[in-house]
Amino acid sequence: MDYSEAAERISRKFSKSGKAVDVKKIEGKLRRLVDEFGVQPQEAERSVTNELNKEFNIPTAGSGGGSKAGSGNEEKKIAEGVPGDWVTIVGKVVALSAPASPSIAQSGIIADESGAIRFVAWAKSNAPAMAEGSWYHIESAVVDEFKGVPNLKIHSGTTVKEISEDRSLIPTPVPIKDLHPGIAGVRAKVIQEWDASHERMLQSGLLGDETGTIKFVIWKEPGKEKLVVGAVYTIFYAQVDEFNGRLSLNLNTATIMQEEGDIPVSGGETAVQGSIVHIAPGSGIIKRCPVEGCNRALSRQNYCPIHEIQPKFVYDLRIKGWLDDGEKTHNILLQRDVVESLTGITLNAAKEIAENNPLGMDEVFLQVRDKVLGRYVICHGREIDGRILVNTCERVKFETSEHAALLNRAGGSS
Amino acid sequence: MITNPQDMTRKEGAFEREPARRVFATELRECRYQFKDGEDEKSPTFVLLPTGERSNRIFIVGTLTEKTRQGEQNIFYRGRVVDPTGTFFVMAGSYQPEAMQQLAKIETPAFVAVIGKPNLYQKPDGSFMNSVRVESITVVDKDTRDLWVLDAAKQTLDRIDIFNIGTAPDVIKTKEQYPNSDPAVFRRAAYDALAQIKM
Repeated sequence: MDYSEAAERISRKFSKSGKAVDVKKIEGKLRRLVDEFGVQPQEAERSVTNELNKEFNIPTAGSGGGSKAGSGNEEKKIAEGVPGDWVTIVGKVVALSAPASPSIAQSGIIADESGAIRFVAWAKSNAPAMAEGSWYHIESAVVDEFKGVPNLKIHSGTTVKEISEDRSLIPTPVPIKDLHPGIAGVRAKVIQEWDASHERMLQSGLLGDETGTIKFVIWKEPGKEKLVVGAVYTIFYAQVDEFNGRLSLNLNTATIMQEEGDIPVSGGETAVQGSIVHIAPGSGIIKRCPVEGCNRALSRQNYCPIHEIQPKFVYDLRIKGWLDDGEKTHNILLQRDVVESLTGITLNAAKEIAENNPLGMDEVFLQVRDKVLGRYVICHGREIDGRILVNTCERVKFETSEHAALLNRAGGSS
Repeated sequence: MITNPQDMTRKEGAFEREPARRVFATELRECRYQFKDGEDEKSPTFVLLPTGERSNRIFIVGTLTEKTRQGEQNIFYRGRVVDPTGTFFVMAGSYQPEAMQQLAKIETPAFVAVIGKPNLYQKPDGSFMNSVRVESITVVDKDTRDLWVLDAAKQTLDRIDIFNIGTAPDVIKTKEQYPNSDPAVFRRAAYDALAQIKM
């Protein structure tokens, strides 16, 4: 059997990435595996390649997918890295975060002029510990994706060298509506603060700029401080996460600077006038999970998807429905106080009906429906994900002036 | 920079509810053309309004003057809803149980708000019949009826303005399908409807 061809192939693969290998030695290894150990020639070629990979500290890119390995030497801008790429970059470590697992040595964010990316250095990579604020030349790292966010993996085949650079990076904030998963900066105002839904959560709420709003989260960590509601901040290197198609901003890695003054916030505050054309199931009186921070709607059997059976539920009122202006239909959600003022049915009255009427909660649904369906209302609220969270909802009043104007319009140029 | 295939599917899958058009009885009665948007079995069906807009759903407020129960095995209700310009024929069958129960309960006469789907039938004698399959019907007050007349008049006039510009695809289709239709008739109807509300 001839092993020189296979040996040549292997040697070419390594010389492409600048490593010199001894063809004769490879040939000998292959022969030994096949002749002495009865290994399949293909398998032998693979194991010799892997052995050399280990020798040169090149990670095996999956099974037999070594084709990408050669491209790791080109220096790229951080923003150009696409999941699946092998890249070499020069950047500044702008944030370090606590590793989430013992197999991770370091994680944080590295940036250059073009942008920033999260990085993870595996414990097995034996990469030197990087320091916040220093510049590094990182060769042959891999960009992949974790929860929709691009990630730079520093593995055992990656070379990390500190370089003496001392430029300051000034990232440009991105309008909130243009954010996408990754690392980004915003200049925004804290519009709302929400109850923490998790004990590890320091703060969550809503940030807004002229273009829109986004949820933000800060997890408890030493040195982290809460943002002040109503204050304006310039935030760099925050992580934009996506969950269920919804974006949120994780500020734990971010550099946060409070600013003077105020900025206009669109806040997504909209007003829509139309008629209520549908009341969806789940409207009327509902039961909510009493577990602190949960508040999910329970099923008829008092079942919470997370906390299971909850006999000590809490009653609530809401309307989920569609508001139609004749051109477009808007999904609306009305909270308890809005429902109470629109229908005149208080939560207490609804509770009374739910517990004493033979139809129970259905009767509340029917009464609420008959009071609002087909009515003209004007809703003010914040639009989030195509649904308007309604703050106020009032019946439209007949305007004589509008009537007169329409008569003129209809009679005018016929 | 990042191509996210999920974005695509989400946009495609995003559900857009068809708006409910405001149309007077006199205009709905003139519909002669019904079409499907797409080849799919579940593609929505539209009737083409003579003022140049497709409609898969309508919102009307008028007076329910009459209702009758029909059918032995498959019960369904028919009703007449009158607006200032004419009469809508509405119906709710066992496929719309909620709407049928609502309609069954209402005592005539009453102001009602109806959300429903317009349907066009051709009778054996060749004449056309427009009816509205009710999605929901609720009793409302006179104020709501008056507001609806304003709303329907405004939207009818808006459609006529677009019709007169003449470039919208549905308008072009309308001119093909209803070559003799004159939007001035519907402008007049809107005026008459408005005039019936006391100042």
